[in-house]
Amino acid sequence: MDKTKVKSLQDLVRLAAEEYGDKAYIKEKAGKEIVEKSFKQFFSDTKKVASFLLEAMKGEKVHAATIGPTSYAYLVGYFGTIMGGNVTVPLDAQLACDDICDLMNRADVNVFFYDARYAPMLPAIKINCPAIKTYVALQAHEGAENVLTEILEKYDEAQIYDIPSESLASIVYTSGTTGKAKGVMLTHGNLIDNAMCQDNESSPEDTLLSVLPIHHVFCFACDILLSLRYGATICVNDAMMRIAQNLKLFQPTIILLVPMIAETILKQINAAAKAKGLPAKAVAQAFFGGRLKGIYSGGAYLAPEIIKAYGEFGIPMAQGYGMTECSPRIATADFNNVSLLGDVGTIVNGCEVKIVDGEIVVKSPSVMQGYYKFPEATAEALDADGWLHTGDLGYAEDGRRYITGRKKNLIILSNGENVSPEELENKFALIDLAAEILVYAEEGYITAEIFPNLDMCPDIDEAAAKLNEIIKEVNTTLPSSKTIRRLRVRDREFDKTTSKKIKRTQTYQGEIK
Amino acid sequence: MFEQLKELICNYVEVDESAITEDARFIEDLGFNSYDFMSMLGEIEETLDVQVDEQEVIKLSTVGDAVKYIESLKA
Repeated sequence: MDKTKVKSLQDLVRLAAEEYGDKAYIKEKAGKEIVEKSFKQFFSDTKKVASFLLEAMKGEKVHAATIGPTSYAYLVGYFGTIMGGNVTVPLDAQLACDDICDLMNRADVNVFFYDARYAPMLPAIKINCPAIKTYVALQAHEGAENVLTEILEKYDEAQIYDIPSESLASIVYTSGTTGKAKGVMLTHGNLIDNAMCQDNESSPEDTLLSVLPIHHVFCFACDILLSLRYGATICVNDAMMRIAQNLKLFQPTIILLVPMIAETILKQINAAAKAKGLPAKAVAQAFFGGRLKGIYSGGAYLAPEIIKAYGEFGIPMAQGYGMTECSPRIATADFNNVSLLGDVGTIVNGCEVKIVDGEIVVKSPSVMQGYYKFPEATAEALDADGWLHTGDLGYAEDGRRYITGRKKNLIILSNGENVSPEELENKFALIDLAAEILVYAEEGYITAEIFPNLDMCPDIDEAAAKLNEIIKEVNTTLPSSKTIRRLRVRDREFDKTTSKKIKRTQTYQGEIK
Repeated sequence: MFEQLKELICNYVEVDESAITEDARFIEDLGFNSYDFMSMLGEIEETLDVQVDEQEVIKLSTVGDAVKYIESLKA
């Protein structure tokens, strides 16, 4: 694709249809069948939705929320909104109904596309979100006002007009481990810059298995947009529980994962190899379907040991770094330069990065316009010269970039020393006995609160004794100002966000051991 | 069903077979995380040719709960 011609998401869908035509863009399961939808069909269907929205909303500017797992219908609703120059608001399907209503009201949502499994929420949404005028069910259900398949049968393709790259395309909420969710405003230009900033990342021969939640910009940009650009086929993982089955069925060449899933698959491969008496490498190759070229990891810190373990299976793995506010890539995984040093990969083209007082600060055409109706937060994140203050702490060494933690989580001790809790937590990433860990300051002491793996050690006191020994070991690798001085052991898991990150604001604390 | 499930559990977590009882809780006692658990149910779907409901299975806590649920699907 000639990337100089792509100024908007609409251009991307249109050019993909012209270039890749009848090739399959999406493959998904419908019962026991696999249904394929081509690039050309996708372009056509999105224009029909644009036509419907124009009529239903009488030309009013649309802010359309979309909720549900990845599906062809979801993408048609999403891009149908985009085609007419309107704004999408992808929502996290795991949120409680009250939160969903709050986010929709704050983003001025007036159209709601929903997967039929969320239909039971409609009565509450209708009461709490009076601004929503049009409801579209992505699958038929009893009582649905509009159903996507009927729209596709009934409407003709809309006439589409060029969308300026500076137009707002999406308001994407950041989940965050602390504080209130903020709506990141991304323009067509932001998302296109990020999708076009690197070259030769994929090709029409590639097949992706899309397993990450679609409302995350990492999945949206790197699965959905890059496949439009390169003509790759996306296979939809219809449920988390079916990853293994879908890997065998679709035999992807590329997969994007978050570290938690990558670590768990690794553990399962090792357990299965042991149970079956087979070499782990053979089990791994079979598990991934036999055609996998590589795994991209993002979303959280990935321990180099995991990269190394996959490398031993003959599966290259590399991690990138980004954030919703940067559409999302700041650094990208590079399979030609797999690093075992724990750094975050290659800085993408067009992105300037500097470190100011330990914080990573970036400037690029991918950087958001600000937070929707939240000028105070925007002023904190974006300075007058357009630099985005990421809130991440990091450093550069020998041309590589490393992340040490979040600025807002920084522990500032009474002696003025700054300690990043994530840097200490990462030291426990491969210690099986520490199933979950949170590090914070308490009464001036650096405290590690740990939920032990009770299967390995059911007795809390015994686990605490062992953990104290492990902490002593870990402390020998740390400067004295950063050593862990107090251990709390809890008998239950930490509360987590819907993206499975531990919430840093917890009410329950384990006992001091 | 219990014996079949017991065998399957060993493919997902490294645990002593004697720890797998009807009362054993997947997460707290057997060391499953949510993704392990879902993956195992995916394998059950495939092996037994049943359709598992994602919203229902998150309510299962113990091995006994899972045995009952899977048997209800087969019935």
